[in-house]
Amino acid sequence: MSFDSIIELEDLARHYDMGGDTVKALDGVDLKIGRGEYVSIVGPSGSGKTTLFNLVGGLDRPTRGRVYIDGIDISKLDAYELAWLRCRRIGYIFQTFNLIQVLNALENVALPTVFAGVPRDEGLKKAEKLLQSVGLGERLHHRPTELSAGQQQRVAIARALANDPAIILADEPTGNLDLNTGTEIIDLLHGLNKKGGLTLIAATHDLKMIKASDRIVWMRDGRIEKIERG
Amino acid sequence: MGEQVARHEGVSFTVRDASRLGFDYIKRRMQRAAIVMASIALAIAFLSSLMMTDLFYRVYSQLSGASLSVETYQYWLVFVALIVSVVGITNAMLIAVYERYREIGTMKCLGALDAHIVMLFLVEAIIQGLIGGAVGFLLGVLTGLLSAGFTTGFDIILKAPGLDLLAYLVGSIALSIGLSAAATLYPAWRAARLNPVEALRYEL
Repeated sequence: MSFDSIIELEDLARHYDMGGDTVKALDGVDLKIGRGEYVSIVGPSGSGKTTLFNLVGGLDRPTRGRVYIDGIDISKLDAYELAWLRCRRIGYIFQTFNLIQVLNALENVALPTVFAGVPRDEGLKKAEKLLQSVGLGERLHHRPTELSAGQQQRVAIARALANDPAIILADEPTGNLDLNTGTEIIDLLHGLNKKGGLTLIAATHDLKMIKASDRIVWMRDGRIEKIERG
Repeated sequence: MGEQVARHEGVSFTVRDASRLGFDYIKRRMQRAAIVMASIALAIAFLSSLMMTDLFYRVYSQLSGASLSVETYQYWLVFVALIVSVVGITNAMLIAVYERYREIGTMKCLGALDAHIVMLFLVEAIIQGLIGGAVGFLLGVLTGLLSAGFTTGFDIILKAPGLDLLAYLVGSIALSIGLSAAATLYPAWRAARLNPVEALRYEL
Protein backbone atom coordinates (compact mmCIF):
# COMPACT_ATOMS: atom_id res chain seq x y z
CA MET A 1 0.00 0.00 0.00
CA SER A 2 1.38 3.35 -0.98
CA PHE A 3 -0.20 5.56 1.65
CA ASP A 4 2.09 8.55 1.79
CA SER A 5 1.32 10.06 5.18
CA ILE A 6 2.24 13.64 5.95
CA ILE A 7 0.96 13.61 9.53
CA GLU A 8 1.09 10.71 11.96
CA LEU A 9 -0.31 10.79 15.46
CA GLU A 10 0.78 8.06 17.85
CA ASP A 11 -1.11 7.52 21.11
CA LEU A 12 -1.43 11.28 21.38
CA ALA A 13 -2.68 12.60 24.73
CA ARG A 14 -2.96 15.97 26.39
CA HIS A 15 -4.07 16.22 29.98
CA TYR A 16 -4.72 19.44 31.84
CA ASP A 17 -4.48 19.92 35.54
CA MET A 18 -7.52 21.92 36.64
CA GLY A 19 -7.43 22.59 40.35
CA GLY A 20 -6.33 19.08 41.27
CA ASP A 21 -8.54 17.33 38.71
CA THR A 22 -6.97 15.91 35.59
CA VAL A 23 -8.93 16.80 32.48
CA LYS A 24 -8.15 14.45 29.62
CA ALA A 25 -8.71 16.78 26.68
CA LEU A 26 -7.09 14.23 24.42
CA ASP A 27 -6.51 10.67 25.49
CA GLY A 28 -4.75 8.33 23.12
CA VAL A 29 -5.35 9.28 19.51
CA ASP A 30 -3.79 7.33 16.64
CA LEU A 31 -4.25 8.75 13.18
CA LYS A 32 -2.47 8.91 9.85
CA ILE A 33 -3.28 11.65 7.39
CA GLY A 34 -2.20 11.27 3.81
CA ARG A 35 -0.53 13.89 1.65
CA GLY A 36 -3.21 15.88 -0.17
CA GLU A 37 -6.00 14.42 1.92
CA TYR A 38 -8.99 16.42 3.13
CA VAL A 39 -9.96 15.33 6.63
CA SER A 40 -12.80 16.72 8.70
CA ILE A 41 -12.60 16.43 12.45
CA VAL A 42 -16.08 16.35 13.92
CA GLY A 43 -17.31 16.18 17.47
CA PRO A 44 -19.16 18.05 20.18
CA SER A 45 -17.41 20.93 21.86
CA GLY A 46 -14.98 19.64 24.46
CA SER A 47 -14.30 16.49 22.45
CA GLY A 48 -10.68 17.48 21.90
CA LYS A 49 -10.74 18.92 18.39
CA THR A 50 -9.01 22.16 19.21
CA THR A 51 -6.49 20.41 21.46
CA LEU A 52 -5.70 18.07 18.58
CA PHE A 53 -5.19 21.05 16.31
CA ASN A 54 -2.90 22.80 18.72
CA LEU A 55 -0.76 19.69 19.04
CA VAL A 56 -0.55 19.08 15.30
CA GLY A 57 0.32 22.74 14.75
CA GLY A 58 3.11 22.62 17.30
CA LEU A 59 1.36 25.24 19.46
CA ASP A 60 1.12 22.93 22.45
CA ARG A 61 3.14 19.99 23.79
CA PRO A 62 1.52 16.60 24.34
CA THR A 63 1.39 14.91 27.74
CA ARG A 64 1.99 11.59 26.02
CA GLY A 65 2.49 10.29 22.52
CA ARG A 66 4.00 11.69 19.35
CA VAL A 67 3.18 13.96 16.43
CA TYR A 68 5.13 13.26 13.26
CA ILE A 69 5.07 15.73 10.42
CA ASP A 70 6.90 14.51 7.32
CA GLY A 71 8.23 11.72 9.51
CA ILE A 72 9.78 14.11 12.01
CA ASP A 73 8.82 13.96 15.67
CA ILE A 74 7.95 17.57 16.40
CA SER A 75 8.37 17.20 20.17
CA LYS A 76 12.11 17.04 19.44
CA LEU A 77 12.11 20.49 17.84
CA ASP A 78 13.31 23.56 19.67
CA ALA A 79 11.41 26.88 19.71
CA TYR A 80 13.16 28.13 16.58
CA GLU A 81 12.43 24.98 14.59
CA LEU A 82 8.81 24.99 15.74
CA ALA A 83 8.47 28.60 14.62
CA TRP A 84 9.93 27.55 11.28
CA LEU A 85 7.42 24.73 11.04
CA ARG A 86 4.51 27.05 11.79
CA CYS A 87 5.84 29.61 9.38
CA ARG A 88 6.65 27.42 6.37
CA ARG A 89 4.84 24.11 6.58
CA ILE A 90 1.49 24.94 8.17
CA GLY A 91 -1.18 27.51 7.37
CA TYR A 92 -3.72 28.34 10.04
CA ILE A 93 -7.30 29.43 9.52
CA PHE A 94 -9.35 30.41 12.56
CA GLN A 95 -13.04 30.71 13.27
CA THR A 96 -12.51 34.35 14.28
CA PHE A 97 -10.21 35.14 11.30
CA ASN A 98 -7.61 36.77 13.59
CA LEU A 99 -6.39 39.35 11.13
CA ILE A 100 -4.05 42.05 12.40
CA GLN A 101 -6.35 45.06 12.74
CA VAL A 102 -3.76 47.76 12.04
CA LEU A 103 -2.71 46.21 8.73
CA ASN A 104 -4.63 46.24 5.45
CA ALA A 105 -5.52 43.07 3.54
CA LEU A 106 -2.33 43.12 1.50
CA GLU A 107 -0.08 43.60 4.54
CA ASN A 108 -1.93 40.93 6.48
CA VAL A 109 -1.35 38.39 3.74
CA ALA A 110 2.28 39.45 3.39
CA LEU A 111 2.98 39.15 7.12
CA PRO A 112 3.97 35.45 7.09
CA THR A 113 6.42 36.19 4.27
CA VAL A 114 8.05 38.79 6.54
CA PHE A 115 8.73 36.08 9.12
CA ALA A 116 9.97 33.82 6.34
CA GLY A 117 12.57 36.43 5.41
CA VAL A 118 11.14 37.10 1.93
CA PRO A 119 12.08 40.57 0.60
CA ARG A 120 9.21 43.04 1.10
CA ASP A 121 8.43 43.71 -2.57
CA GLU A 122 8.36 40.03 -3.34
CA GLY A 123 6.12 39.34 -0.34
CA LEU A 124 3.67 42.07 -1.31
CA LYS A 125 3.57 40.85 -4.91
CA LYS A 126 2.82 37.34 -3.72
CA ALA A 127 0.15 38.66 -1.35
CA GLU A 128 -1.50 40.55 -4.18
CA LYS A 129 -1.62 37.43 -6.33
CA LEU A 130 -3.08 35.39 -3.48
CA LEU A 131 -5.73 38.01 -2.75
CA GLN A 132 -6.67 38.03 -6.43
CA SER A 133 -6.95 34.26 -6.36
CA VAL A 134 -9.45 34.43 -3.48
CA GLY A 135 -11.44 37.11 -5.31
CA LEU A 136 -10.29 40.14 -3.34
CA GLY A 137 -8.16 41.84 -5.99
CA GLU A 138 -10.25 44.99 -5.54
CA ARG A 139 -9.89 45.09 -1.77
CA LEU A 140 -6.11 45.07 -1.36
CA HIS A 141 -5.89 48.21 0.74
CA HIS A 142 -8.95 47.72 2.92
CA ARG A 143 -8.47 47.13 6.61
CA PRO A 144 -10.21 44.20 8.33
CA THR A 145 -12.87 46.52 9.79
CA GLU A 146 -13.76 47.61 6.25
CA LEU A 147 -14.36 44.05 5.07
CA SER A 148 -17.30 41.69 5.55
CA ALA A 149 -16.89 38.51 7.58
CA GLY A 150 -16.62 36.39 4.44
CA GLN A 151 -14.04 38.73 2.95
CA GLN A 152 -12.03 38.67 6.17
CA GLN A 153 -11.97 34.89 6.07
CA ARG A 154 -10.77 35.03 2.45
CA VAL A 155 -7.94 37.30 3.55
CA ALA A 156 -7.16 34.79 6.31
CA ILE A 157 -7.09 31.97 3.76
CA ALA A 158 -4.77 33.94 1.50
CA ARG A 159 -2.56 34.61 4.52
CA ALA A 160 -2.49 30.91 5.38
CA LEU A 161 -1.17 30.24 1.85
CA ALA A 162 1.48 32.95 1.87
CA ASN A 163 4.47 30.68 2.47
CA ASP A 164 3.21 27.76 0.35
CA PRO A 165 2.53 25.44 3.27
CA ALA A 166 1.88 21.72 2.79
CA ILE A 167 -0.78 21.58 5.48
CA ILE A 168 -3.76 23.80 6.20
CA LEU A 169 -5.29 23.60 9.67
CA ALA A 170 -8.73 25.17 9.76
CA ASP A 171 -10.53 25.44 13.09
CA GLU A 172 -14.25 25.96 12.44
CA PRO A 173 -13.54 28.14 9.40
CA THR A 174 -17.23 28.67 8.63
CA GLY A 175 -18.34 28.97 12.26
CA ASN A 176 -18.81 32.74 12.15
CA LEU A 177 -20.20 32.95 8.62
CA ASP A 178 -23.70 32.83 7.16
CA LEU A 179 -24.74 29.89 4.99
CA ASN A 180 -23.91 31.36 1.57
CA THR A 181 -20.61 32.87 2.61
CA GLY A 182 -19.76 29.63 4.36
CA THR A 183 -20.39 27.67 1.19
CA GLU A 184 -18.10 29.99 -0.78
CA ILE A 185 -15.34 29.50 1.78
CA ILE A 186 -15.81 25.71 1.67
CA ASP A 187 -15.57 25.73 -2.12
CA LEU A 188 -12.44 27.82 -1.91
CA LEU A 189 -10.79 25.46 0.58
CA HIS A 190 -11.94 22.41 -1.34
CA GLY A 191 -10.44 23.83 -4.52
CA LEU A 192 -7.11 24.42 -2.80
CA ASN A 193 -7.13 20.85 -1.62
CA LYS A 194 -8.09 19.30 -4.97
CA LYS A 195 -6.21 21.60 -7.34
CA GLY A 196 -3.38 22.71 -5.12
CA GLY A 197 -2.75 19.32 -3.53
CA LEU A 198 -2.78 20.84 -0.06
CA THR A 199 -3.47 18.63 2.91
CA LEU A 200 -6.52 20.12 4.58
CA ILE A 201 -7.59 19.34 8.11
CA ALA A 202 -10.70 21.10 9.29
CA ALA A 203 -12.50 20.97 12.59
CA THR A 204 -16.11 21.69 11.81
CA HIS A 205 -19.79 21.30 12.58
CA ASP A 206 -20.72 22.32 9.08
CA LEU A 207 -22.46 19.48 7.20
CA LYS A 208 -21.46 20.89 3.81
CA MET A 209 -17.87 20.91 4.86
CA ILE A 210 -18.07 17.37 6.17
CA LYS A 211 -19.61 16.14 2.91
CA ALA A 212 -16.81 17.61 0.83
CA SER A 213 -14.08 15.80 2.76
CA ASP A 214 -12.25 12.54 1.96
CA ARG A 215 -12.45 11.25 5.50
CA ILE A 216 -14.40 12.18 8.58
CA VAL A 217 -12.92 11.61 12.01
CA TRP A 218 -15.54 11.60 14.74
CA MET A 219 -14.24 12.50 18.16
CA ARG A 220 -15.73 12.12 21.59
CA ASP A 221 -14.20 12.64 25.03
CA GLY A 222 -10.68 12.99 23.72
CA ARG A 223 -10.74 9.82 21.63
CA ILE A 224 -11.55 8.88 18.07
CA GLU A 225 -15.04 7.40 18.02
CA LYS A 226 -15.11 6.38 14.37
CA ILE A 227 -13.61 7.22 11.00
CA GLU A 228 -15.80 7.37 7.91
CA ARG A 229 -15.00 7.73 4.24
CA GLY A 230 -16.52 10.90 2.83
CA MET B 1 13.87 18.72 10.73
CA GLY B 2 17.25 20.02 11.81
CA GLU B 3 18.58 19.38 8.33
CA GLN B 4 15.58 20.94 6.70
CA VAL B 5 15.90 24.06 8.78
CA ALA B 6 19.50 24.32 7.70
CA ARG B 7 18.59 23.85 4.05
CA HIS B 8 15.77 26.38 4.01
CA GLU B 9 15.97 29.88 5.29
CA GLY B 10 14.90 30.17 8.92
CA VAL B 11 12.42 32.55 10.41
CA SER B 12 13.39 36.19 10.52
CA PHE B 13 12.08 39.55 11.65
CA THR B 14 14.43 42.46 11.18
CA VAL B 15 14.47 45.75 13.06
CA ARG B 16 13.19 47.29 9.84
CA ASP B 17 10.20 44.95 9.77
CA ALA B 18 9.53 45.68 13.43
CA SER B 19 9.77 49.43 12.85
CA ARG B 20 7.32 49.29 9.98
CA LEU B 21 4.81 47.34 12.04
CA GLY B 22 5.49 49.46 15.13
CA PHE B 23 4.72 52.63 13.17
CA ASP B 24 1.47 51.09 11.96
CA TYR B 25 0.46 50.27 15.51
CA ILE B 26 1.26 53.79 16.72
CA LYS B 27 -0.55 55.40 13.78
CA ARG B 28 -3.66 53.27 14.08
CA ARG B 29 -3.85 53.40 17.87
CA MET B 30 -2.85 57.02 18.19
CA GLN B 31 -4.79 57.60 21.40
CA ARG B 32 -2.82 55.12 23.48
CA ALA B 33 0.45 56.22 21.89
CA ALA B 34 -0.44 59.87 22.52
CA ILE B 35 -0.99 59.21 26.23
CA VAL B 36 2.37 57.46 26.50
CA MET B 37 4.13 60.19 24.56
CA ALA B 38 2.46 62.95 26.59
CA SER B 39 3.48 61.25 29.82
CA ILE B 40 7.09 61.03 28.78
CA ALA B 41 7.07 64.48 27.19
CA LEU B 42 5.84 66.09 30.41
CA ALA B 43 8.50 64.43 32.53
CA ILE B 44 11.25 65.33 30.05
CA ALA B 45 9.85 68.87 29.75
CA PHE B 46 10.08 69.23 33.52
CA LEU B 47 13.67 67.99 33.53
CA SER B 48 14.87 70.03 30.58
CA SER B 49 13.03 73.12 31.79
CA LEU B 50 15.05 72.91 34.99
CA MET B 51 18.29 72.24 33.15
CA MET B 52 17.65 75.08 30.72
CA THR B 53 16.89 77.49 33.55
CA ASP B 54 20.12 76.37 35.16
CA LEU B 55 22.05 76.82 31.91
CA PHE B 56 20.60 80.29 31.35
CA TYR B 57 21.42 81.30 34.91
CA ARG B 58 24.99 80.08 34.51
CA VAL B 59 25.48 81.94 31.25
CA TYR B 60 23.95 85.06 32.79
CA SER B 61 26.12 84.73 35.89
CA GLN B 62 29.25 84.51 33.77
CA LEU B 63 28.26 87.57 31.77
CA SER B 64 27.02 89.76 34.60
CA GLY B 65 28.83 88.49 37.67
CA ALA B 66 25.53 87.83 39.45
CA SER B 67 25.05 84.47 41.16
CA LEU B 68 21.85 82.67 40.22
CA SER B 69 21.15 78.95 40.52
CA VAL B 70 18.37 76.38 40.56
CA GLU B 71 17.34 74.96 43.93
CA THR B 72 18.55 71.37 44.34
CA TYR B 73 15.27 70.07 45.75
CA GLN B 74 13.70 70.74 42.37
CA TYR B 75 15.81 67.96 40.90
CA TRP B 76 14.19 65.59 43.36
CA LEU B 77 10.81 66.60 42.01
CA VAL B 78 12.05 65.85 38.50
CA PHE B 79 13.25 62.46 39.65
CA VAL B 80 9.81 61.67 41.05
CA ALA B 81 8.18 62.92 37.83
CA LEU B 82 10.38 60.59 35.78
CA ILE B 83 9.45 57.61 37.94
CA VAL B 84 5.75 58.42 37.68
CA SER B 85 6.17 58.63 33.92
CA VAL B 86 7.87 55.22 33.77
CA VAL B 87 5.08 53.62 35.80
CA GLY B 88 2.52 55.25 33.51
CA ILE B 89 4.22 53.88 30.41
CA THR B 90 4.46 50.40 31.89
CA ASN B 91 0.75 50.53 32.65
CA ALA B 92 -0.19 51.74 29.18
CA MET B 93 1.98 49.11 27.50
CA LEU B 94 0.53 46.34 29.65
CA ILE B 95 -2.91 47.36 28.46
CA ALA B 96 -1.58 47.36 24.89
CA VAL B 97 -0.41 43.78 25.44
CA TYR B 98 -3.85 42.71 26.71
CA GLU B 99 -5.51 44.40 23.76
CA ARG B 100 -3.31 42.46 21.40
CA TYR B 101 -3.42 39.04 23.04
CA ARG B 102 -5.01 37.44 20.01
CA GLU B 103 -2.77 39.22 17.55
CA ILE B 104 0.31 38.09 19.46
CA GLY B 105 -1.01 34.52 19.40
CA THR B 106 -1.68 34.83 15.69
CA MET B 107 1.80 36.15 14.99
CA LYS B 108 3.27 33.18 16.84
CA CYS B 109 1.20 30.90 14.60
CA LEU B 110 2.66 32.70 11.59
CA GLY B 111 6.20 32.00 12.76
CA ALA B 112 7.11 34.80 15.18
CA LEU B 113 9.63 33.92 17.88
CA ASP B 114 9.43 35.30 21.42
CA ALA B 115 12.32 37.63 20.59
CA HIS B 116 10.37 39.05 17.65
CA ILE B 117 7.45 39.98 19.91
CA VAL B 118 9.80 41.68 22.37
CA MET B 119 11.41 43.55 19.50
CA LEU B 120 8.05 44.74 18.20
CA PHE B 121 7.07 46.24 21.56
CA LEU B 122 10.53 47.73 22.15
CA VAL B 123 10.53 49.39 18.76
CA GLU B 124 7.21 50.98 19.60
CA ALA B 125 8.63 52.15 22.92
CA ILE B 126 11.66 53.65 21.19
CA ILE B 127 9.55 55.51 18.64
CA GLN B 128 7.33 56.86 21.42
CA GLY B 129 10.38 57.78 23.49
CA LEU B 130 11.95 59.60 20.55
CA ILE B 131 8.87 61.69 19.81
CA GLY B 132 8.03 62.24 23.49
CA GLY B 133 11.61 63.23 24.25
CA ALA B 134 11.85 65.71 21.38
CA VAL B 135 8.50 67.33 22.21
CA GLY B 136 9.40 67.38 25.90
CA PHE B 137 12.72 69.04 25.22
CA LEU B 138 11.11 71.81 23.16
CA LEU B 139 8.54 72.40 25.89
CA GLY B 140 11.35 72.43 28.43
CA VAL B 141 13.35 75.03 26.51
CA LEU B 142 10.28 77.25 26.24
CA THR B 143 9.30 77.00 29.91
CA GLY B 144 12.95 77.27 31.00
CA LEU B 145 13.26 80.44 28.96
CA LEU B 146 10.03 81.75 30.47
CA SER B 147 11.21 81.09 34.00
CA ALA B 148 14.72 82.52 33.54
CA GLY B 149 13.97 85.16 30.92
CA PHE B 150 12.43 87.75 33.20
CA THR B 151 15.64 87.90 35.20
CA THR B 152 18.23 87.28 32.50
CA GLY B 153 16.48 88.76 29.50
CA PHE B 154 14.97 86.54 26.76
CA ASP B 155 17.95 86.97 24.47
CA ILE B 156 19.82 84.70 26.85
CA ILE B 157 18.97 81.75 24.58
CA LEU B 158 21.06 83.38 21.86
CA LYS B 159 23.95 83.82 24.25
CA ALA B 160 23.88 80.22 25.50
CA PRO B 161 26.47 78.02 23.77
CA GLY B 162 24.79 76.06 20.96
CA LEU B 163 26.86 73.00 21.72
CA ASP B 164 25.41 72.88 25.25
CA LEU B 165 21.87 73.15 23.89
CA LEU B 166 22.57 70.36 21.45
CA ALA B 167 24.05 68.20 24.20
CA TYR B 168 20.92 68.74 26.31
CA LEU B 169 18.71 67.86 23.33
CA VAL B 170 20.58 64.64 22.66
CA GLY B 171 20.67 63.82 26.37
CA SER B 172 16.93 64.41 26.81
CA ILE B 173 16.03 62.23 23.86
CA ALA B 174 18.44 59.48 24.93
CA LEU B 175 17.01 59.52 28.45
CA SER B 176 13.47 59.53 27.10
CA ILE B 177 14.15 56.54 24.83
CA GLY B 178 15.95 54.73 27.64
CA LEU B 179 13.10 55.25 30.11
CA SER B 180 10.43 54.33 27.58
CA ALA B 181 12.29 51.15 26.63
CA ALA B 182 12.95 50.23 30.26
CA ALA B 183 9.28 50.78 31.12
CA THR B 184 8.26 48.51 28.23
CA LEU B 185 10.61 45.62 29.03
CA TYR B 186 8.23 43.93 31.46
CA PRO B 187 5.10 44.25 29.27
CA ALA B 188 7.09 43.07 26.25
CA TRP B 189 8.42 40.08 28.15
CA ARG B 190 4.88 39.22 29.27
CA ALA B 191 3.69 39.43 25.67
CA ALA B 192 6.51 37.26 24.36
CA ARG B 193 5.96 34.55 26.94
CA LEU B 194 2.28 34.21 26.06
CA ASN B 195 1.28 30.71 25.21
CA PRO B 196 -0.24 30.97 21.71
CA VAL B 197 -2.99 28.51 22.62
CA GLU B 198 -4.19 30.68 25.50
CA ALA B 199 -3.64 33.90 23.59
CA LEU B 200 -5.87 32.71 20.75
CA ARG B 201 -8.62 31.64 23.10
CA TYR B 202 -8.56 34.96 24.94
CA GLU B 203 -11.71 37.08 24.65
CA LEU B 204 -11.38 40.75 25.43
